Amino acid sequence: MDRFVDLVVSAVLLAGLYATMAYGLGLIYGVLRVVNLAHGGVIMVGAYMGWILHGWLGLDPYLAIPLVVGATFLLGVVTYRVLVRHLPRGAAGGPASLLLLFGVWLVLRNAAYLLFSGNDQTIRTAYSTRAIPLLGSYVSVNRLAVLAIAVVTPVALHLLLKRTYLGRAIRAVAQNADSCTLVGIDVERIYTITFGLGTALAGLAGLLSATIFSFNPGFGSGELLKSFVVVVLGGLGSVFGTGIAALVLAVVEVFAILVLPSYLTAAVGFVMLVLVLVFRPGGLFGQRVLG
Amino acid sequence: MTFSWPPLVPRWAVAAFVLVVAALAVAPAALDLSIYSRNLVTLAFLMISGALAWNWMGGFVGQVSFGHAALFGVGGFVAARLMLMEPPAPAPLAWLVGGLAAGVFSLGAHPMLRLRGPYFSIATIGVGEAARLLFTYWEDFTGGSSGLSLPIDMEMKDRLYFWGLGLAALVVAASFLIRRSTLGLQLLAIKADVDAAADVGVNATFNQDLVFALSAVVVGITGGLYAAYFSFIEPGDMFGFDRSIAFVLMSVIGGVGTVLGPVLGAIVFVLLRQFLLASYPQLYLGLYGLLLVFIILFEPLGLTGLALRLAGAVRKRTRRAPRESLA
Repeated sequence: MDRFVDLVVSAVLLAGLYATMAYGLGLIYGVLRVVNLAHGGVIMVGAYMGWILHGWLGLDPYLAIPLVVGATFLLGVVTYRVLVRHLPRGAAGGPASLLLLFGVWLVLRNAAYLLFSGNDQTIRTAYSTRAIPLLGSYVSVNRLAVLAIAVVTPVALHLLLKRTYLGRAIRAVAQNADSCTLVGIDVERIYTITFGLGTALAGLAGLLSATIFSFNPGFGSGELLKSFVVVVLGGLGSVFGTGIAALVLAVVEVFAILVLPSYLTAAVGFVMLVLVLVFRPGGLFGQRVLG
Repeated sequence: MTFSWPPLVPRWAVAAFVLVVAALAVAPAALDLSIYSRNLVTLAFLMISGALAWNWMGGFVGQVSFGHAALFGVGGFVAARLMLMEPPAPAPLAWLVGGLAAGVFSLGAHPMLRLRGPYFSIATIGVGEAARLLFTYWEDFTGGSSGLSLPIDMEMKDRLYFWGLGLAALVVAASFLIRRSTLGLQLLAIKADVDAAADVGVNATFNQDLVFALSAVVVGITGGLYAAYFSFIEPGDMFGFDRSIAFVLMSVIGGVGTVLGPVLGAIVFVLLRQFLLASYPQLYLGLYGLLLVFIILFEPLGLTGLALRLAGAVRKRTRRAPRESLA
């Protein structure tokens, strides 16, 4: 029973991280109809940024959040302005944008190999190993903090999308970009900001993962696919749906440890991805865009 | 469903094809190729076959697969197991059975084929990675991460050149036939708009299954030949994500959806890879990434597009020349 509680707690903690990653991917796809294959690369970049700031400047990873988010936002803006903007849109642009952003990912990965070698890295802080009792099991302080941030972020974004002019403009562009130009919304600017926001979320997710897991330049490929599972399962840009879907994925993954040999638990996410795409391509609650 | 025989492929093209194949067949003896270059050409034959087969799916149907390594691996390991039997199965039979196994494996992907565009591509990443993990775990079959060694003698290695040439020639011919037949037209229709294609009587499901299975069989056979070529295979390499990317890259470099582009792409890929692995092993992933970015941004049809553009420019110049001389 203790073990059961342990697993549930760790699944909930993991779900927060998955939700943050997936929200960025879903936002970009919802507005631009582009699958950002560079998402995994940016997750990796976020992790290394936190590592550099901590290792070289002694900055606490949680205090580094504004810096990392700002830097990855800029990275997203540049990626959009320099590369993605020039792609054909719609069905015809599908394979092209996939391949282009895949190329960006390869470049990011290679750059990380050159700069930091392929060794596994970790961010260790004074409180890395500290845990507090909760529901009869011990929970790492780190994981709790990650969960808190992962809950606050999507809610803040949800408020941004619902309550601000910018958010309304983003939702309007997601629905019909052509009409937006008619009513005076600068669609290109909205695309740029959206791509930046989505990328910044990936960077944040990477930084948060780095406080829990070890990482190397190949880090992020599994995270990308998990994000995709969550996006498809939860619907695009729905905060509630994303949260539930992330929880489903995390619970399945965590409980797979009980029945599968440890080597195969990594395959659970991949298998789920395919099953979800084939059987629930509309998501758990039907497909909604930024609702 | 009827398939009409392809309208005549131009005679000069058939002649050129026969000439090139014949020249390549006598090349090792006539040019006294070193073992190194012979092996390089053999590898190019294998990659050409794989790239063309990927292109049937990724180019003709427009379903970009990031998971073809799974088919390559299944074909390779089934063939390897058959060649390791006591007594060993004859190599060509082993390759064929390996290819068929990959074909059967691809039919398992049938439910995925109703996914379009990015959804299909992402699902293939999932299948590919899951296959890599499962087959690495299945040590009784694949030898796990320590892999399998095949007893390949030098004579076999010499003959592989001709087997590779034969396979590549067959696949080039098949690419032409597919493109020129009604099947090819139907695939184009599916690529442009599945629903509209279905409205005019194209059986999109059957056609995609057929092409995917054909592609899988060829990639599987290629995997078997590759296993014999290297005489040592391990799941991390055969099923690796890098291998899946290689199929994509070769077609993109040469020209996605064109008939002969992937041939060019595969040759460039093999040479580039050889050069990069020898001189800049730490850069080669990133350079492929840059190549992808530049090709997609500036010349989506790759080398084929570049060639067409050059040909256009030359034609324009030759046409303009007389007029200028008059003035």
